[in-house]
Amino acid sequence: MDISAILAKSRYDRIKDIVDQTVTSDKGAVKTYTEMLDRAFLHRYLGIPIFLTFLWVMFQFAFTVSEPFAVMIEEAFSLLGGVAEQRISQPHLASFIAQGVFGGLGAVLVFIPPIFGLFLALSILEDSGYLARAAFLMDRLMSRLGLCGHSFIPMMIGFGCNVPAIMATRSMNDERDRMITILVSPFISCSARLPVYVLIAGAVFGPAYAGTAVFSVYAIGIALAILSALAFRKTLFRGETSPFLLELPEYAMPNARSALLHMWARGRAFLHRAGTLIFGTTVIVWFLSVNPWEATGGGQLVAESYLAQLGHAMQPLVSPLGWDWMTAVALLFGLLAKEVVVGTYGVLLGTGEATLGESLVSLGIFTPLSGFAFMCFVLIYVPCAATLGAISRETNSIRWPAFVLVFQTALAFAVSGLVVGAGRLLGFA
Amino acid sequence: MKEEYNGIMSRSRRLDELRAGQRGRIKSVSPCGSLGQRLMAMGLVEGEELEMIRLAPSGDPIEVLLRGCRLALRRSEARMVNLEAEGE
Repeated sequence: MDISAILAKSRYDRIKDIVDQTVTSDKGAVKTYTEMLDRAFLHRYLGIPIFLTFLWVMFQFAFTVSEPFAVMIEEAFSLLGGVAEQRISQPHLASFIAQGVFGGLGAVLVFIPPIFGLFLALSILEDSGYLARAAFLMDRLMSRLGLCGHSFIPMMIGFGCNVPAIMATRSMNDERDRMITILVSPFISCSARLPVYVLIAGAVFGPAYAGTAVFSVYAIGIALAILSALAFRKTLFRGETSPFLLELPEYAMPNARSALLHMWARGRAFLHRAGTLIFGTTVIVWFLSVNPWEATGGGQLVAESYLAQLGHAMQPLVSPLGWDWMTAVALLFGLLAKEVVVGTYGVLLGTGEATLGESLVSLGIFTPLSGFAFMCFVLIYVPCAATLGAISRETNSIRWPAFVLVFQTALAFAVSGLVVGAGRLLGFA
Repeated sequence: MKEEYNGIMSRSRRLDELRAGQRGRIKSVSPCGSLGQRLMAMGLVEGEELEMIRLAPSGDPIEVLLRGCRLALRRSEARMVNLEAEGE
C-alpha cells in the first residue's frame, strides 16, 4: 500500500468513527424517496425520455414566463425614445438619447427576461439534485463527442441563448472540459438567430422548403459544435480524459428563496459585464449610422452614413459569396444581436418586415444559393457582443473572446464559401 | 467478465464487473496517478463495502452506493477498484 492509500484509509476510518458515535439512522426500514425517484428518472428505457421532457418543460417555462416581460421592456424603451425625440430640441442630443441610449438599453434589456428565466430554471434543476443525474444520463454520448456529461445541459441552454449557456458551464469541475464547452457552445443556434433564418429561408425557398432549410442550418450548427469539440480536444486541450466521479445528491425540494438568489447571482454578472459591452457597442453603431450628420439627414438615410461606407469597404470580402454592401452592414449590426440583422434590412430597404422577404428576392439581393450561404454565415460567425462578454467573463481573459471572434468569423467564411462553391458546381445560381 | 460464470469463484473481481444489486468489499485501488488519488479521496478505500445500484441507460457510467452516498463513475474508472473475492 502506498502512502496516499494509507492516508485516505486512515482519514475514512476516522470519519467512520465519528459517524458511528454521532449519527443514528433508521435506514433500511423504508425506501427513501431518492431511491424511488431514481428508479424512474434513471430508468434504463424511461430515463432519457423523462430527461428530454424536463428539458422541454424548462424551455417552455423560461420563454413563456419571460415573453410578456420582454414585450413590456421593448415597448417601454421605444416609448421613452419617442418622448425623448419629441421633447429634446437639440437634434444631435435627441438622436443620441432616443436611438443611442434608449435604443441601446432596449437592445440589452430585452434579453434579460429570457436569460433570467433560463437561469431560474437552471437553479431549480441544480437545487433539486437533478442536474447531476442529467450529467449521469448523458455522459456516454457526450464523451464520444469530445465533451462530457456535464456539458449537455449548458449546450441545450444554448438553443435558448448562448449567454446563460456559457455561464452554466460554471457547474463543471474539469477546466479543460469547461473551456471546450465554452468555445463550442456558440455554434448551438440560439433563438435570436431564428428570425433571420425565417426571413431569408421564407424569401428564397418559399414556404414549402423553408422549414427544411432552417432545420439543416440547425443541424450544421450541431455538427460544427461536435467537430470543433473533437478538434479542440486533440489540439488546444490535449491530455487524458478527465475522470467523471460525481456524487448524486439526495433529491431536495427546491427552495424559492435560494433559487431566486442563484438566478440573481448569475443574472447580475450578465448585466454587469455583458451589459456594458453591448451597450457600448450599440452606442458606437448608433454613432456610425447617424454620421456624417448632414449627409444622413440626422440618421434618416443610413445609406449615406459611415456605417454604409464601412459596408462598401467590406464589400470585396463578401462579394465572392454573392452578397452586396447591405449584407455587410447587416452582418456588422448583427454583432450586437443576431435578430438586428432583420431590422437592418428593413431600415436599408425602407420597407416594413411584412414585405421585406419579397424585396430581398425582387431586388436580387439573395438567390437561393447566396441566401443559404448567408444563413450559414449568420449561424457561424460570432453570436453577439453579449456572448463575447460572457466568454470574457467566464474565462477571465480578453484572449479567449478574441480567439472566438477570429476563429468563428474565419470558419463562417470557409463554410459559406464551401456552400457557394459546391452549389455553383452543382449548377445552382 | 465471462470467467465469473466458469466456476472460478475465488477470482477477485473489479468494481466494473459487478451487476446491479451486487455488493462487494474493496480490496485495493490500483495506484494510477491522479485518478487513483481522486477515487480514494471520494472514499473508495480498502475495506469499504459498496453496492452496485445501476448502470446508466447506455451502460456507462455506473452508480454505486458507498457509506450511504451515491457515487457515479465511469467503467474505465471503476476498473481501478479491486474487490475481495466473494463466493456468490
